[in-house]
Amino acid sequence: MLRKAMGFMVSNPLSGVISVLAIIVVVASLMSENFLNSYNLVIIARALAFIGIITIAQSMLMILGELDLSLGAIGGFCGVIGGILMVRVGLDPWLAFALCLVIGALFGLINGLLVTLLRLPSLVLTIGMAGVYGGLNLVITKGVAITGIPADIGFLGSGKWFGLPVPFWVMLVFLALACFITLKTPFGRYMYAVGSNLPAAQMLGIRTDRVRIGVFAFAGFLAALAGMLMVARLGSAQPSIGDSWVLGPIAASVIGGVPTTGGIGTPLGAIFGAAIIGVIENIIVLLGVSPYWQSMVSGAIVVIAISLDSISRRYFRRD
Amino acid sequence: MAYLHVDHVSKTYPGVKALDDIVLEIEMGKVHTLAGENGAGKSTLVKILTGTERPTEGRVMIDDQDAVHHQHLHKSIAYVPQEINLFGNMTVAENLFMPFSRSHHGGLLFRRRKLERAAQPWIERFKIAARPGDKVRNISISDQQLLQIARACTNESMKILILDEPTSSLTETEVERVFRVVRDVVASGCGVVFISHKFDEMFAISDTISVLRNGRLIDTQPATMLDDRQLISLMSGQEIKTDARLQPEGSEGEVILQVDGLSGKGFEDVSFNLRRGEILGFAGLVGAGRSEVMQTLFGFLPARAGSARVEGREWRLGDTHHAIRNGLFYLSEERKYHGIFPGQSVRRNIGMPLFGSTARGGVIDARRERERVGTIVRDYDIKTPTLNQNITFLSGGNQQKAIIGRAMACDPRVLIFDEPTKGIDLRTKMEIYRLMKALAERGVGIILVSSEMDELRRCANRIITMYEGRISGEFHIEQASGNALVGAIHGHGGDGHAA
Repeated sequence: MLRKAMGFMVSNPLSGVISVLAIIVVVASLMSENFLNSYNLVIIARALAFIGIITIAQSMLMILGELDLSLGAIGGFCGVIGGILMVRVGLDPWLAFALCLVIGALFGLINGLLVTLLRLPSLVLTIGMAGVYGGLNLVITKGVAITGIPADIGFLGSGKWFGLPVPFWVMLVFLALACFITLKTPFGRYMYAVGSNLPAAQMLGIRTDRVRIGVFAFAGFLAALAGMLMVARLGSAQPSIGDSWVLGPIAASVIGGVPTTGGIGTPLGAIFGAAIIGVIENIIVLLGVSPYWQSMVSGAIVVIAISLDSISRRYFRRD
Repeated sequence: MAYLHVDHVSKTYPGVKALDDIVLEIEMGKVHTLAGENGAGKSTLVKILTGTERPTEGRVMIDDQDAVHHQHLHKSIAYVPQEINLFGNMTVAENLFMPFSRSHHGGLLFRRRKLERAAQPWIERFKIAARPGDKVRNISISDQQLLQIARACTNESMKILILDEPTSSLTETEVERVFRVVRDVVASGCGVVFISHKFDEMFAISDTISVLRNGRLIDTQPATMLDDRQLISLMSGQEIKTDARLQPEGSEGEVILQVDGLSGKGFEDVSFNLRRGEILGFAGLVGAGRSEVMQTLFGFLPARAGSARVEGREWRLGDTHHAIRNGLFYLSEERKYHGIFPGQSVRRNIGMPLFGSTARGGVIDARRERERVGTIVRDYDIKTPTLNQNITFLSGGNQQKAIIGRAMACDPRVLIFDEPTKGIDLRTKMEIYRLMKALAERGVGIILVSSEMDELRRCANRIITMYEGRISGEFHIEQASGNALVGAIHGHGGDGHAA
């Protein structure tokens, strides 16, 4: 029985990240009595919703062996465009919301086209594109938030459904969709093929460029979604939305079993990775750690989490 | 007592006994060959000798000391892997002395001149045709192979040198260059452990031959006491039928593939045709442009000019997708880089091109996929414990069969094999030859690119030779035994015989 359980632990790639999350949750609830109550859990869920949507996008790109460092900038820019369409143009909020998702997908598409057609490394290209999207954002807003977002879409950001924030449910829906695409469709298999061995995928006649462009566009769509949900939540379009969405999702994906080299892992694992980071950041605040120390402590814990995972992998290596 | 003594070593991996009670003595000044089929345990044994793996049971004695507990003893064992493992963008001298120890360039700063002067004697001793300052990616494969051996020998404490299939990507003259170096190393008093699948090489270089099979040591004999036949039966545990001739019957079908004036990177104006049910061999030296022709035809490399038709249908070159849709499939010699998806299961690897029949409405039907892949695994006799096994852990021969099975699932009219038996043991080789014959007799046109003349003579109905990017001759198999074929490969003798 124990043997069987151990076998599952070793063979299931998610078991490592789930056990780490469980340990951190137990430790966190022992350290602070304010951790395990519905108020605090809702806070964690809401934070996880936004960073989680970006993590889904980033992990799908990382399965391909690509990265998009402009997802945060796309999210912020689309939020601002949404704000302008709703407030200054006076477009129907729902139409503006949908339009922004399309625009986000277009930005992602541009990234994908540049990466595939010009054979550019996505890391460098998207650093540049982050500058372009982020810069256009500042040119248009001059750094000033657009206020007066219609209340119609407010519940998308701050509403609750069955006790959990609406953005969290939205994140779950897209997580399910992402897992369905990666695990159950031919397109998803092609993603793993491209990430695992690009020339071999070409040798099988897989349209590798289309696969990559498709995922970049989907990632842009998700970034815009996160941005618009944030606008709905804040009731204003802040130009700085998305500034903190760049590195966390990459770390979350690696913790959750999607290496930057691609080919393995799932968006589900990446979300567990994001949850680990989210819980750590939460407990640091609950414990009243000085704000000056917070980023250092949470960074160190992330490093420890990745190291534990890597060490356990080496220990249980099956070969 | 021998310098290296393997004392009742066993190695168990979860579910597999890779080595079972191996006893072996490696002596200084001798060449000791390890022979065995893929999966016999040679690689595991080498890993234990080099100290990268520890034995589950037993001891490795180096110089009469227990190396399992004194890892530093393994420093006297130098290992040259089968694949070229050099820094292509660095110079010969830099590669030779990496990691730089101070003695080679004297001081804290990197001094290129001094390093290159220190490299010169090594280059001369190992007869490497390059200057110390040349970039490694610009020197020939055989020189790279020699450089790898030289690099291993710069280890001053080296007593035993392990060479893992050093000749698998070399032509016959190049093999002789490597052997001269090996004899030189042996003469200097070191012991050499040699691994190869080629019998003539084993007999040419070895003093002693040890045969492994299924993780057990079957026999150790002086090389002079063995011949091909005995070695084969020791390795396989049974008599392998090595058919002399494996040409498909009925190779006079209509033309199924027609290539006109194809030009691309490294070759010029290549035209030929292939008949249904025929195996067409492509012979030539390494670098003659054969693989480039095939990869361009397949759309993996860009074409500069020319056209191709399968069953009369022409398509736009330059996209593998179109080639496969039109019935042309190419199997690369680089199994690892162009064939398998490492880290993915056998099922995912083989299932990749099957979605036309295993996915409905854009969703993969797991049950149908298991069935289809299971059928391919059975039909092509792919040995794997389960369909979910990581393909990286399959032997080279089984990976090759998986790749062939997967290609056949795409229902090709023309199948191109590029060095299909590189690094594959004799028994699996024969299986692949028979498989090619059976496929041809089922009506598939087959192109076989090979550097082994024996393989071409045994399998092909017709042989086209290439020299420096152009077709230099064409021979029916009945004419292919003479010197004209060899001449055409080396660029002599004009157009050969019109076939």
